[in-house]
Amino acid sequence: MAAPGDTPTPVVPAADGRRLGQVEQHDTLAARNSRLAPGDLVTLKVRRSEALAGDAYQEFRVPYQKWMRVLDALNWIAENAAPDLAFRWFCGSKMCGTCAVRMNGREVLACWEAVEPNMVIEPLRNLPVVRDLVVDRTRYEEKVASLQPWIERHEPYAGFPEPLTHKEMKNASKALDCISCMCCYSACPVIGLGNLTDFAGPAPLVQLGQTALDPRNNPEKVRRSIELTGIFNCISCYKCEEVCPAHIPIVSGVIEPLKAKAAELAPGMARHSFALRDIVARRGRVDPGELILKVQGLRGLRNLRRIWRLLVRRKINPIKTLLGIRTSAAGAAARLLGDGAKKP
Amino acid sequence: MQVITTDVAVIGGGAAGCYAALNLAERGIKPLIICKGLVGKSGASLFAGNLVISGRALGNSEENARNTAEFLIKYHNQFLIDQKWAQRCGQWIEKVYYPELEKAGLYFRRDDSGEVVTSPGKIRSIAANVQGNSGVPFMDLRRKQVIKANIARMEETVATCLLSNGDGSVGGVFCLDTITGEYVAVIARAVILATGYSDRLHTRSTGTREMSADGIAMAWRLGATLVNMEMQWWHTNDLAHPPCWQRMQIYPNPMLGSEKSARMLNSAGEEFFNQQQDDPLAFGPYTVQLKALVKQVRAGKARYEGGYYAGFDNCDATEVETYTTYGKTFRQLGLPFPAHMAETAVSSHYRQGGIDVDTSTMRSSIPGLYAAGGVGGHSNGLIGLATYDGQMVAEGVAKDIATAKTASVPQPQIEAECRRLDRLRASSGDGSAPCKLKEQLRAVMWEKVGVEKNASDLQSALDDIERIRVELLPGMKISNSGRAANYEWLDAIDLINMIDVCELVIHSSLERKESRGPFIRQDFPSTDNDNWLAANVLKKSGNGMRFEKRPYDLPLFAPGFSQKDNLEVAW
Repeated sequence: MAAPGDTPTPVVPAADGRRLGQVEQHDTLAARNSRLAPGDLVTLKVRRSEALAGDAYQEFRVPYQKWMRVLDALNWIAENAAPDLAFRWFCGSKMCGTCAVRMNGREVLACWEAVEPNMVIEPLRNLPVVRDLVVDRTRYEEKVASLQPWIERHEPYAGFPEPLTHKEMKNASKALDCISCMCCYSACPVIGLGNLTDFAGPAPLVQLGQTALDPRNNPEKVRRSIELTGIFNCISCYKCEEVCPAHIPIVSGVIEPLKAKAAELAPGMARHSFALRDIVARRGRVDPGELILKVQGLRGLRNLRRIWRLLVRRKINPIKTLLGIRTSAAGAAARLLGDGAKKP
Repeated sequence: MQVITTDVAVIGGGAAGCYAALNLAERGIKPLIICKGLVGKSGASLFAGNLVISGRALGNSEENARNTAEFLIKYHNQFLIDQKWAQRCGQWIEKVYYPELEKAGLYFRRDDSGEVVTSPGKIRSIAANVQGNSGVPFMDLRRKQVIKANIARMEETVATCLLSNGDGSVGGVFCLDTITGEYVAVIARAVILATGYSDRLHTRSTGTREMSADGIAMAWRLGATLVNMEMQWWHTNDLAHPPCWQRMQIYPNPMLGSEKSARMLNSAGEEFFNQQQDDPLAFGPYTVQLKALVKQVRAGKARYEGGYYAGFDNCDATEVETYTTYGKTFRQLGLPFPAHMAETAVSSHYRQGGIDVDTSTMRSSIPGLYAAGGVGGHSNGLIGLATYDGQMVAEGVAKDIATAKTASVPQPQIEAECRRLDRLRASSGDGSAPCKLKEQLRAVMWEKVGVEKNASDLQSALDDIERIRVELLPGMKISNSGRAANYEWLDAIDLINMIDVCELVIHSSLERKESRGPFIRQDFPSTDNDNWLAANVLKKSGNGMRFEKRPYDLPLFAPGFSQKDNLEVAW
């Protein structure tokens, strides 16, 4: 037992690939805390909606308290410096998921994240700002409601407790840790593109995953929901996973399994993936020319400027595409990707 | 200003409010949920760690079933409970609650072979997905059920006063949308208050930001009878740091899949509490823990603000973390887990008392006004009990609504409330900001109405609060008079409710001249079953108040003694 009251040695969490940068820099909460002693001043530059003296950021110095969270600093400001600072929170302990902000360019849950000596605090991105750090969640809520993320049973309920194993619930169970704090939604670069895509975004997909990855749900219902997600716009950049305060494996444990469901239930959505896989399996390489033709058909030829650019940059080679030339990796690729490559 | 007409206004979006609304909607009665936070994302319900197994469900033995009932009546409510209601509630939880939740999709944690994982021991429990976090998927499910049922909801909207009909019955509620700053008057044939157990009236409280005793204050102003307002429960082992984690508990209850529980150490490193060893019948051992802590404090080996420790250094990490979230706080702080024992402190938790209701209909003493869940004065909290109230209140409202008339819009009341709120928003004194005054009020409660109470401190707290009301409130200053997301304005509205309810708590505390469970009077140290096995009923009379005693029936369990030093009573 560590003696009560001892200052503990900071512990670097066991290596986790997706948090590599943080581990290498000892960017852990304990490491940050150990640089600060009670009474030290931490500096916050907080983005305000109404610019004061022409500056959108207002600076505050807040005395550090033991194990101080970002939310504690904001509360100190409200009580002592700027009572009109607007920020949303309810539970203060990582349950309600309403206090997320951006700290030094990174999405954090204010109640969960340790303060740093110097912080720039801004509202989340990809949602309209109501005032100061308060964002309007409506866009997200409407999307989630449209996905109807609930269970429609295809078999009658067997009575409590129904047959079910944790293995079957593994992915859904990870998604159930979601507190819809919008950190991932703010960090997602595809959502950042606005209306250019119909991508639902990571948070709505996690909400959908809670029931769509649940074996009790009716596959037909799951198909209808997934079709509304634009899920194949996800570029698997892992930004969502990196910022998730609940440590949900959003890409590997939710979006990828949902994509697999989509490929199974609504193969039309996965045309691009199937075409890519087919090309690689057959020819041992990616051929962008063939990919465009397969996914977009003759429509792909309409944009002559794009074709010209691709030709000049040698991204496509129509001759190789027409002849279907294979690389030496074709055999290995066919073996690895197997029969699945032939399916639509 | 918007005027909305609905059948029933449900104030509160937690376990009781959501279930009441769902149940009403199924009966073809139109509810509107008014939630100060977000439905299913604010209030106390989110904090449900696990769900107690009731009756004979999931292989519970007859003895287990009896233990659960005994725990609820003794340890959880110190006999201040309608035992017949508790019995009905237990049966409903067994027969309706679990199957209905699972059918709707709630995931009760299984192991890989498909067995529902339980905590062993005299009283067993299960968890929704993970122990320590059950409230999150539970309330998320409710939120989605509410959306699926197309139930109207006004979120981040605070109810500021009840509207009454000419005959004194309740006919609606006046609200402020805190995001837009717009007023909304809701006209309804019935109003259900479901504003929760836990209010932030002390410096350290488990009550969340928005919980400021609004339900009690509004009901009291209209003359609703209250009961047992002094019966305040405490968490004894919430993290002492940082401030916003004051409601983050080192859970003392039995763990899923383990025979062990957390242990607590005093400042000398001596163990003074470990649920599975000290009292296996105390499933939620908060009162037993509190009494153990009082002894440590009196011996100078702990303070209510800290200086004692809790953790899992008697367990191994896998044992704790396979089915629970209990390691998360330690890990987030970078502390060695489970070796580190974290400094803990007391936080005021649920209030057992509240609005006096008829437990078969959830009617309050005012026609048209109902209370469900923690805001009621009939039981202490568990998410299953709050949900059962949602069922009972829907039945109660359904019985009455056919004869309830649709109110006309009470224009003078609405105008008066608009003026009151406008004046608050324009507060331009040279005094403190409302959030500062809130903290001042909480400090008075913490110092003088804390774990150990006595008449002179309580009296002095009343004087301090009077000073806040008379001297500081009029000089209050709001620096920004905008409407949108103006939390200063909201703080001012909250503050007035908090002041009123703090006074009621103190008067009720002065009235109960005994110690009982978590209610500890230094000047009346004995539990006095001869005189105080009774509801401490608080009624409004003219501008003042009067108290009445109403004894409880003891059909199932009885304490078995007349008087005894409270610290020596097990429960």
